[in-house]
Amino acid sequence: MDDLLADFVAETREMLEASEGEIVAWEADPADSARLDTIFRFVHTVKGNCGFFDFPRLAGLSHAAEDALADCRAGRRKPDAALVTAVLAIVDRISAMVDAIEAGEEFPEGGDDTLIAALGNDQDASDLAFDEPDGTSGHGAASGLVSTDAAASEGDAPKRVDPNPSVQRSIRLPVDLLDRVMSGVSDMVLARNDLGHRLRQAGNQPTIDGPFERLTTILSDVRDAITRMRMQRIETLFSALPRLVRDLSAELGKQVMVDLEGGDVELDREMVEMVRDPLTHIIRNAIDHGIETPSARLKDGKREIGLLSIAARQSGNTISIVVSDDGRGLDEKRIADKAVETGLITASQRAEMSREKILQLIFEPGFSTADTVSNVSGRGVGLDVVRDNLEKVGGSIKVSSQPGIGTLFTLQIPLTLSIIAGLTVEVGDQRFAIPQSYIEEIIHSSAKALDFTRVGETALVTFRGDRVPCLMLSEVLALDQGDIGEGDHTMVMLRLASGDLFALAVERIHSHGDLVVKPLAPAVMRSEIYAGSSLLDNGEPILLLDVTNIASRYGLVSDARTRVREIGDDIVETAKNTVSRAMLFTDFDNRRCAIRLELVKRIETAPASALDLTGTKPRAVIDGAILPVVGLPEGQVPAEKVRLLRLSDGECELLHAVRDIDDAVELSGKLKPERDDPLIEAVTLINGATVSLLDGHELFTRHGEPPEMLAKPLCHIPDDEWSRTILAPLVVSAGYEIADGSDDQNIGEGAVRIVFAEDNDTVPAGEDGPVIRLRSELDAGAGDDSIYRYDREALVRALGDARPARGATQ
Amino acid sequence: MNDLMVMTQIAGRRCALPAHDVKSVIELSTITPVPQTPDFIAGITAMRSQALTVIDCRLALGFAEGDWETDDRAAVVAIDGHFYALLIDAIEDITTTTSEPGQVSGGFGPEWSRVAKGMIETAAGPALLINFPALIAGPGDNQAGLHAAA
Repeated sequence: MDDLLADFVAETREMLEASEGEIVAWEADPADSARLDTIFRFVHTVKGNCGFFDFPRLAGLSHAAEDALADCRAGRRKPDAALVTAVLAIVDRISAMVDAIEAGEEFPEGGDDTLIAALGNDQDASDLAFDEPDGTSGHGAASGLVSTDAAASEGDAPKRVDPNPSVQRSIRLPVDLLDRVMSGVSDMVLARNDLGHRLRQAGNQPTIDGPFERLTTILSDVRDAITRMRMQRIETLFSALPRLVRDLSAELGKQVMVDLEGGDVELDREMVEMVRDPLTHIIRNAIDHGIETPSARLKDGKREIGLLSIAARQSGNTISIVVSDDGRGLDEKRIADKAVETGLITASQRAEMSREKILQLIFEPGFSTADTVSNVSGRGVGLDVVRDNLEKVGGSIKVSSQPGIGTLFTLQIPLTLSIIAGLTVEVGDQRFAIPQSYIEEIIHSSAKALDFTRVGETALVTFRGDRVPCLMLSEVLALDQGDIGEGDHTMVMLRLASGDLFALAVERIHSHGDLVVKPLAPAVMRSEIYAGSSLLDNGEPILLLDVTNIASRYGLVSDARTRVREIGDDIVETAKNTVSRAMLFTDFDNRRCAIRLELVKRIETAPASALDLTGTKPRAVIDGAILPVVGLPEGQVPAEKVRLLRLSDGECELLHAVRDIDDAVELSGKLKPERDDPLIEAVTLINGATVSLLDGHELFTRHGEPPEMLAKPLCHIPDDEWSRTILAPLVVSAGYEIADGSDDQNIGEGAVRIVFAEDNDTVPAGEDGPVIRLRSELDAGAGDDSIYRYDREALVRALGDARPARGATQ
Repeated sequence: MNDLMVMTQIAGRRCALPAHDVKSVIELSTITPVPQTPDFIAGITAMRSQALTVIDCRLALGFAEGDWETDDRAAVVAIDGHFYALLIDAIEDITTTTSEPGQVSGGFGPEWSRVAKGMIETAAGPALLINFPALIAGPGDNQAGLHAAA
């Protein structure tokens, strides 16, 4: 009996959740008979089940609602706002009663009759039609539609009350059981890895390898499925929102239409719960503060009904949920005033802050611009709690807004709590994992740009022009330093959620991949260095570092006030980074020049001999391609080797010769357009000196051409068995193509020709290409420049010598 | 009465672990050390896909390291949802108790009193019944625990 009751409660809940959204949708479009059917089915099922158990009150309520809805279905009655509210009230009461049944409590008496009366079942249907408070012409048309629609559906109504609605079949499972299955599968994967290792040691065994491969495939399928078991569609979260929006807007006298998108995005069950409160809070805020009253909206020339759209999207390992409204937008001035008033920022700080930065202030603790504390929002639990809760699970929140146009909140949350992308690093022969989300960049410390210094005991590195504190992981963990020099560290740049940046020096980077994070024992957690443990593919446990805690132990997390400023700076900085970075160099006229970094494909170093200055345009051969060269000095190249910037616009390429390559820099200064020299786009200041920024467009217009791949040089060989089978492979391996006899003279021109010294007459007249003579005798006669045909070294050398000669003449 | 006990040697003394609480006995192979944690936490190791915290019981009691041999076997226990591998000298036998835990006048010595629920008589002779949470709390927390209790 208890089981049956539990099933009843569970089933009712599930249907409740599903139908709430339907009811609101139905209210928006009363002609939609499909919605009506869903709700009807719900109350109908509840009624039926109640009869089965002994719940007379539930039965009474659901019966009344069923009657009213049946009238609508039959077209005897037109659904209106009052009816929807009444049905919703009954649905609410049913849900409350179900809760009481589950808890085994008695539900307080009374109240049912009023609810039933609100349905107005006893009223005459025609009365209701006239009682319609403000039936606009649109409504009238709709009502006509309803009746025809309902009449049409009346005939097949009995068929539609289908006891097996076409919903996805599902069963309920305790999460414990799921976890057990998950860890079972993880064990299987480890056992498989072990087995695979042993099989490899044992050597190739086709009879075993086949089934083993199959096992591997099946196992990875099962693993995927199990992982998905923990996932839930975000729909479950969304389905409650239309109701929330409806109730709130009714309460506040506003009209809001809600638009949901991306309900099929899947999220870890636990994460869905974590997001529920923040999302609700933001929606409350949007309706209370964002969307104006209908009259105010009309005055501003907007539609009477406000639009609230909530969209979920998955990108890689994060889900972003965007909540946007078309309300009045955030008032920058009021936010700033309030922040100054509450001492969050000073007046001078305010003057320097961009709009973007000021808007983010709404997430600071103790901030609320609501003039009056309403029932809905502004109850002291502010957006700071929302942000803190999101950050706790590794998420973030941002706001942007246009005055009078609307506000947009972007929530970023990781896909799951238990699987994270991590980087495996090594220090002191031990491996540790760092969550990928913190990692900004990985730099090898020997790079000149890092400029590793120690100020007192504190280590500093220079990262994009800023001095950034640096922690040695070996020191953090109190491991033996070993004999690794300070220059041999690899720096992992970590960006905290607060926007602070620091470098963590490790000995080596191993790999990155998804880690299944498991909690650690309290005694280990007390060290406040580790966030959890995970197992590597080989079954070896690995510790996950708690980056935030480590940073705060060393005082690297700034307090709230400076934090605001740094977040703002950060936004500006990243914006700059995406705009322009350039490669700084000195050309042969000793001018300091720069070229946009996007154009630079590679930096090449070529010997001066690779340059061909004979033609009208200088050219060079790089990697078998002939490319035009610009920027060369007049006359002879002054060095043995030339540094060349290989520029590419994706299709065409060219080489820019430079005297010295300086560094990659940010184009932070103002760009002053240069008109006199078409090859120069602008002049700017970098580190206090003027730099000419080359005009990529002009450069490619003048000199760019698709790289011309060098055809392999041809080689004629004598037409006999020995040459074809023994000589030819050697010639090919020396980088030649064998010319067949049918080649016409043009292609054959300049080709290397191998002939036997013995039969001189085979050299055609007019052939000017190099000729290699082979002789059959080991000993050469006097003045003979021929090569003994089995003298491999000499032959390869001769073939090699023949090549550049050809390259130069072309 | 008549409970099953895993009889072990810890720091040269015979101790009893309730068999019901011991999930399994494993051979410790590789232990990954956990830097910046108390000495008695030997590290973490993996039992199938489960990460275990390895507790060196001798050190957790407050004895010095290396005074006793170990056969590298450990008893796996679950405390508050976390799994621990208790590194002990040796595992001897499984036997039944023949008495309720009792106290001895004068106690068992400061180290032992902290982690013992009392003395029990077993078929294999008297043994100290171990209180797991007190054991894994380690010697450092002993003082704090006593103060808190007082």
